Amino acid sequence: MTLPIDDPCAKCEQMLQPFLDRELTQAERFEAERHLDGCAYCRKRYRFEEKLRMFVRMAAVEQMDPKLKVKLAALRTPL
Amino acid sequence: MAEGARDRVRFEEEALALADQVYSVARHLSGSKEEAEDLVQETFARAFRSWRSYTPGTNLRAWLMRIMTNLNIDRGRRKQRSPDTQPLEEGDYYLYNRLSDSISDENPQEDQVLRRLSQNDAVKALAQVPHDFRDVVVLVDLGDFSYQDAAQILDIPIGTVMSRLHRGRRILKQELADSVVESA
Repeated sequence: MTLPIDDPCAKCEQMLQPFLDRELTQAERFEAERHLDGCAYCRKRYRFEEKLRMFVRMAAVEQMDPKLKVKLAALRTPL
Repeated sequence: MAEGARDRVRFEEEALALADQVYSVARHLSGSKEEAEDLVQETFARAFRSWRSYTPGTNLRAWLMRIMTNLNIDRGRRKQRSPDTQPLEEGDYYLYNRLSDSISDENPQEDQVLRRLSQNDAVKALAQVPHDFRDVVVLVDLGDFSYQDAAQILDIPIGTVMSRLHRGRRILKQELADSVVESA
């Protein structure tokens, strides 16, 4: 039986988030990069994750109602 | 104008300049637009009252977020105190695999896969992430706070920020995968 960690793609999958967060040690990052250089399967999923993060960030932006801004300004201490 | 009054006016102006960013985070911490608006108003009311406890030159945005997340917790928002820590079955490639499965092109580009998600799906999926995880995802991934800032804002250890962030993102991706299947 093979443990998942012996599967290089499974290991690369586990490094995805810390890799994009720049949290891996240098040795771990080299290991991930070496695997990514030779593995289109993982490379695609890493690129997808990067774009997904950007997409969620853009999708989540919501303008506030200008009326709320007026209400907030009214909360200031009068001079 | 007296010295103190001048400082206060400057503080109020700097705080108000951050209102859009504060609202954007509030919107995803709370369940609705109305709740978010209430939360932001309470946050600014409290900030303006306690402006003297802010140290000029420190991170005002983080200071406001700390007031806001505390208020949000005080409002009894969350029933579940300790987040569920059962292991998630799906890994980080799950969403990509699910989305690309139903594309006829055998070797789709990431953009093509990503286009299967709508903006609305993303907002709804985010709202499905349990609060304790969502707070961290919203602060770090949407609010651009560092782990250290998020730890201080939420008053939790940095290791907890990291584990909740990783788990929160995975839950978000599972929700996104489900949203596409449901709408298909």
